[in-house]
Amino acid sequence: MIEISGVSQVFQTSGRQSHLALSNISLTIQDGAFVSILGPSGCGKSTLLYIVGGFVAPSQGTTRVKGKAITGPGPDRGPVFQEFALFPWKSVLGNVMYGPRQQGVSSAEAEAQSRQLIEMVGLKGFEHFYPKELSGGMKQRVALARTLAYHPAVLLMDEPFGALDAHTRTRLQNDLLNIWERDRKTVLFVTHSVEEAVFLSDKVVVMTRSPGRIKRIIDIDLPRPRRRAELLLDPHYQKYVVDIEGMIDDTSEDELHP
Amino acid sequence: MKGRVLTSDVLLGIAPIALMIAVWQALISFGYAPATLLPPPGQVFMRLVRQLGNNEYQQDIAATLFRLFAGFAIAVVLGVGIGLAAAASPAVNAVVRPIVRVLAPLPKVALYPALLLLLGFGHESKITLVVADALFPILLSTYYGASMVEQKLIWSAMAAGTPPRQILFKVVLPAAMPSVLTGCRIGLVISCIVVFLAEMITSTDGLGHVLVTAARTFRAVDMFVPLITISLLGLILNGLLQWLRSYLLRGFPEV
Ligand SMILES: Nc1ncnc2c1ncn2[C@@H]1O[C@H](COP(=O)(O)OP(=O)(O)O)[C@@H](O)[C@H]1O
Ligand SMILES: [Mg+2]
Repeated sequence: MIEISGVSQVFQTSGRQSHLALSNISLTIQDGAFVSILGPSGCGKSTLLYIVGGFVAPSQGTTRVKGKAITGPGPDRGPVFQEFALFPWKSVLGNVMYGPRQQGVSSAEAEAQSRQLIEMVGLKGFEHFYPKELSGGMKQRVALARTLAYHPAVLLMDEPFGALDAHTRTRLQNDLLNIWERDRKTVLFVTHSVEEAVFLSDKVVVMTRSPGRIKRIIDIDLPRPRRRAELLLDPHYQKYVVDIEGMIDDTSEDELHP
Repeated sequence: MKGRVLTSDVLLGIAPIALMIAVWQALISFGYAPATLLPPPGQVFMRLVRQLGNNEYQQDIAATLFRLFAGFAIAVVLGVGIGLAAAASPAVNAVVRPIVRVLAPLPKVALYPALLLLLGFGHESKITLVVADALFPILLSTYYGASMVEQKLIWSAMAAGTPPRQILFKVVLPAAMPSVLTGCRIGLVISCIVVFLAEMITSTDGLGHVLVTAARTFRAVDMFVPLITISLLGLILNGLLQWLRSYLLRGFPEV
């Protein structure tokens, strides 16, 4: 369980002013839940994710994972960033093996596990490629495999498919769901696509424009496993999308930040 | 395809050198320069080949190479070490920054007389001068490269379980490698220049010493031989570094 209580974040900006990025966020996420955070750009979605990751300390409030206060990054919470953040000096295999090796897994064992993961994300045969030789979608698959490789209980995904074209994006959404169905990790997923949030999640957290507050939390009661083709025709799915779009509309800055 | 690009690059690289030699020959052939002062290239190259087989000359080359390598290696270790430390620690940076600001623009060769008095006429004074000159470009480019490392690379490694004190060597240094190697390349060229210069000013051996001795006795041909030797050495060393660079940076997008 992830418990976020009373979290606020103030940033010092260049002109010696302070900027309130997050205001009094409280949120509880159950183990195994897929939760999306939705909101206009600049509302503090990334900041909230970084706080749960332990990369950024909140100005106020507390965060706990499995009852333990978060004081820094740890292998129980694995990030996946929009920019992939792969190590350019390591091959695909080297990137995926990094985590297990840091966890003290033997080289042979780490390699065997990593090869399996690379196959699972559909990149068999690309083990010895360097990130620069891969497309955006492939890079994000490697980044996902690299994070899964150290078995985090929680996945923290910050607009992971935001930089991909629509077709690649759809395929990665499906693959992510399949992987998630298998081991039911807790996922905290930041996006600004309403369809993506509804398609993937058990719960959608809608945030207000800056300073970020929680506006609404919507339970997505759609059957699993979800099939995209069926879901798109499902009136319940359509209603969720329309409703949530309505909630975002009156706070949206998306026209300004496509 | 790659092979063809390589050969055309090599041809393009050789063309200006060939042109230079042609102009050199022309200056003599058309009588613009007396052969006693500017000897024809053919004669210089013949002497070069003969000298390369000469034991005494080989020892001069060895002396220069040793100083060059020792100075450059120390500069790399110090420059990368201090640059990384300054990028990692604000306290170190606060100490290093003003020192670098004052010393970097100083013409290091001005220190040479003092170094001679302190360290004598042997290797030490020359190596120290090479270090003093090659250090700053390596230090500065390491510092900037290490400061620019993408935060999310560091976060990814920390989440995977890398302890903070290992981040410097497991993430920051490899991520800054393109910049570090650019600094090393500049440092190497400077090392070649400075070691030769130091030997010209005061020395009992080395290529710079050979040149000065030849000049003092008006042996024009012997003056050009060490000059060409140091150019060739620089070319070979630069080629080796380039090869190392393309190996170490094989995963990085072209820079
Ligand atoms: N390190 C920082 N320093 C100063 N301001 C920041 C920093 N990180 C984020 N901000 C500001 O906080 C706000 C929220 O940013 P972010 O969490 O990236 O929003 P989102 O991910 O929802 O687009 C923005 O106004 C941004 O400019
Ligand atoms: Mg963001």
